[in-house]
Amino acid sequence: MIELFNADVAVENLGPLLAGLLLTVELTLVVMVLSLGFALLVALAGMSRFASLRWVIKAYVEVMRGTPLLLQLVYMYYVLPEFGIRLPAFVAGCLALTLNYGAYISEVYRGGIQAIGAGQHDAAAALGMTRGLAMRRIVLPQAIRIILPTLGNYFIGLFKDTALCSAVSIQEVLFTAQIIAANNYQYFTLYTVVGAMYFAVSFPAARLVGYLERVTRGGYRSRHP
Amino acid sequence: MTGQQPRPMIEIEGLHKYFGPLHVLRGIDLSVAAGEVVCIIGPSGSGKSTLLRCINHLEIAQQGRIRIAGEIAYRDEVGGVFRAHSNRAVAAVRAQVGMVFQHFNLFPHLTIIGNVMEAPVHVLRRPKAEAMRRGMELLTQVGLADKADNYPEELSGGQQQRAAIARALAMDPKAMMFDEATSALDPELIAEVLAVMRDLADRGMTMLVVTHEMNFARQVASRVIFMDHGSIVEQGDPAAIFADPREARTRDFLRTVLER
Repeated sequence: MIELFNADVAVENLGPLLAGLLLTVELTLVVMVLSLGFALLVALAGMSRFASLRWVIKAYVEVMRGTPLLLQLVYMYYVLPEFGIRLPAFVAGCLALTLNYGAYISEVYRGGIQAIGAGQHDAAAALGMTRGLAMRRIVLPQAIRIILPTLGNYFIGLFKDTALCSAVSIQEVLFTAQIIAANNYQYFTLYTVVGAMYFAVSFPAARLVGYLERVTRGGYRSRHP
Repeated sequence: MTGQQPRPMIEIEGLHKYFGPLHVLRGIDLSVAAGEVVCIIGPSGSGKSTLLRCINHLEIAQQGRIRIAGEIAYRDEVGGVFRAHSNRAVAAVRAQVGMVFQHFNLFPHLTIIGNVMEAPVHVLRRPKAEAMRRGMELLTQVGLADKADNYPEELSGGQQQRAAIARALAMDPKAMMFDEATSALDPELIAEVLAVMRDLADRGMTMLVVTHEMNFARQVASRVIFMDHGSIVEQGDPAAIFADPREARTRDFLRTVLER
């Protein structure tokens, strides 16, 4: 009879697996920060008054959405060196994920910005605000509140998608498990622990997003009524 | 002071505005002197709101000239060629004219005092403490000092509109424009907003008011303008316009609205 879950194997490999999980979280956080900033630039450029810039942005977003993330990762790591661009695995992974998530999140920003009514733009303009100031002080603060839950869901997705980085030899948690399993064949135990690790992070994160959804639906109210 | 007549606060010459094929303003000439309260009345679709929005450059007129406090606003015409002013110059002119909208357009993510302080702090770069002090003064003037820390959605429509008036006043505007400021309000809330506007007129503010409140126009206006189909049909002293309009179109309009 095959032994299923081997607790000794789990415990003795917990160290490397946790180190892998840490790298997974690091990847997620780095890409989160980069893609939040990058996507905002993409969204604003996509609403520019210069048609050529809008077309470039549109093409970029469509290419990113129309090709697999795994392919984009592999491309960044294995194809770019043929053009003399040799990126460390971690950098290539962050770059590909940022380019991919930046495209999706720019669309989220765009939706949020466009949800702010003409009346808000009129009021800001009538008070002598320039477009840039109105965007920064009036439109974006309201838009970000609207899109916060959606962003949260994207980042939970990102956390799980970092597993694809195992394909470009980044030793995040899944790749770590693959390496260990290749030696001791304890697939069930190792992959179950990895699954539990992912879930232990995503589940609370999803609850947090649910909480954000409830808060943002509640509108703007004083804390001391 | 020389014996010269001071320039009007707002001067408009030959203003034309088209929305596609629709000719919304058909050559408007209008001048509003400092301290004057001009009420614009007329049927919906007559171009009253568009006129106010052109004065604030929220709509861009295709033809004509606008002067605010004597300065040519928004664009220059040199040899028949228009040259638009920079965004910064446009914003600077707008900052001098307060605007109150039908739907208030308060910023929902800011408290009432935050709404009032926003432009003085970020456009005029006034110190926060000073903007706060002046803001509280204005909120007291419109009867909302106790709502300073509330958010707009916690206020009634009438309160929101009074806050919007305070927000516009916080820029120390040279003139105030009201675009159907009471049209979106429940009937019982209209009076409190009109009272604030009347108080403002008594303080000598230059005002351009698009309104359906005929009693307000009759009692507060120094001049009433009747617009129809994008033109000024008739204007004059409120007593004269309401008691004895010269034009048939004015008579027809007043009959319909006053019979209600």
